[in-house]
Amino acid sequence: MNDHRDDRRDDSFDELMRRAMSEEAGRIEPADGLHEIQARVRSQRKPVNRRPWVITAGAAMVGTAAAIGAFAVLNDNTKTAEQPSIAGGPDTTSSASAEPTNPPTAPPASPKPTPSDPAASKPPSTLPTSKVRAIEETDLKTPKAVSVYWLGQVVGVKKGPEFRLYRTFNQVTGKPALEALRTMTAPKAANDPDYDSPWSGASVSSVRYTDDLIMVDFERLPNTKLEPEVADMAAQQLVYTVQGALQRTTPVQITQQGRISPDLFGVIDTNSPLSRAQATDVQAMVWITSPENNQTVKQPVTVAGIAAAFEAQVDWRATNVKTKQTVTNYTMTKEGQKFSPFAFTPKLAPGEWLLEVYLTSPEDGRITDTDSKTISVR
Amino acid sequence: MVYEECVAHESSWDADEALTAVYTAHYTSLVRLGALLLRDTGAAEEIVQDAFVAMHGRWHRLRDPHKALAYLRTAVVNRCRSRQRHLVVVDKHLPKSLPDEPSAEHAVMRTAETDRVIEAMRTLPEKQRTVMVLRYYGDLSEAEIADTMGISRGSVKSHAARATKSLRQVLEQST
Repeated sequence: MNDHRDDRRDDSFDELMRRAMSEEAGRIEPADGLHEIQARVRSQRKPVNRRPWVITAGAAMVGTAAAIGAFAVLNDNTKTAEQPSIAGGPDTTSSASAEPTNPPTAPPASPKPTPSDPAASKPPSTLPTSKVRAIEETDLKTPKAVSVYWLGQVVGVKKGPEFRLYRTFNQVTGKPALEALRTMTAPKAANDPDYDSPWSGASVSSVRYTDDLIMVDFERLPNTKLEPEVADMAAQQLVYTVQGALQRTTPVQITQQGRISPDLFGVIDTNSPLSRAQATDVQAMVWITSPENNQTVKQPVTVAGIAAAFEAQVDWRATNVKTKQTVTNYTMTKEGQKFSPFAFTPKLAPGEWLLEVYLTSPEDGRITDTDSKTISVR
Repeated sequence: MVYEECVAHESSWDADEALTAVYTAHYTSLVRLGALLLRDTGAAEEIVQDAFVAMHGRWHRLRDPHKALAYLRTAVVNRCRSRQRHLVVVDKHLPKSLPDEPSAEHAVMRTAETDRVIEAMRTLPEKQRTVMVLRYYGDLSEAEIADTMGISRGSVKSHAARATKSLRQVLEQST
């Protein structure tokens, strides 16, 4: 390997160079790119139908500058969402090696296999893991909060996605992943006007998984057509939601009545399973975890949240809804550049306040990411 | 290692499977290579992604993860070099220590020693710098460097010798 070492006269120089290069290289942690590459490969394979972001009635994306997303509590699920090393990691390798390509024209599978019936629970021949039996989740004995992701518009976008994933926590009973997806696909999905689900109106029939694949079968996939980038984000919305509920990060295979769809949202070929994109590429960059929207809080008010902020700075502004009095200041996250918690205690007189947190661009001071809550201070 | 096991089954890979496997094994190191050449992680990521898209398109001809890696490396180096040549003029007008694209795992501080080496590398002509990065970060042999850059082994040797000489001078001055 090292035939350049034939001139060994200067080992200390070699050592210095090697050490410096490897140290410098070690500082560089690229974001997950697999998703992007796959999307580009896909769009090359098939000319992309450049249609505007079409939204069905009742699912209008409101582009308000402030107020995106409402996040209740943060529980352990956060970890799966913020573990960049998982993204596109060894999981995708093992699945790639284990799975033959699936012919797009495959016989339909029985939509609701019962695990007790071997014939029915055998995955359809179209699915890659015919060797391994897929299992269904077990029913929850007590209600549990699962994270459900939504698309929220990002303000001040110059580069990067126009929409990002925001999360809510929803109490479910029964099968957590299935119920999380049902929440996500419900006809009037989000009760917050700032975020939405392009999956709204679709109907999920089952969620099953093996050691290296999660299979989500739809009775009916959404028939919305999306811009490729938005479609990819919507795909990640499903990936994050189902993986969060199952606490697994294996790729997700989407089918409709057991069949692969060549044009989910008009652009995504579900022939190969979807892998998880890195959190920094898809998750919202700042959000308030506490208090909740419309919550009544006592003095002193402590606002807590999570942000991935340049130089750790999160700006905030509180506006009294009646008097329009504003208080602005900034706070720091524990660590800069990565998802990290922040908290601050604004001095707010009793009354109703609109609380906004936002990030500003280091380049030109534009507001780039926001979240807001309306709270009532007693 | 999973990747090595996968190599055993490489002949059965289609382009999509190859993409995922080669990505998993080499994406990070290729971006790092590009970033060392360009000092711009964002641009390096773009270039490496372009290279992967191109590799996917010609998988039917490569059919071998080792060839694929060589192909990717060459594509990345060539693209970085042509980009660098375009940037030379611009670069002269930029403040000297332009910060790199902040990355998520960025908290690591560089040591002064690394700083000096990286700064010194910037003073080298593009070809010499490329040779040095491939040699010391890529750990490539002279023959491999020659193949990757499309130059003769003799040129690799002379670029390396000149680069070593001027680096040592710069480093001695800066101590």
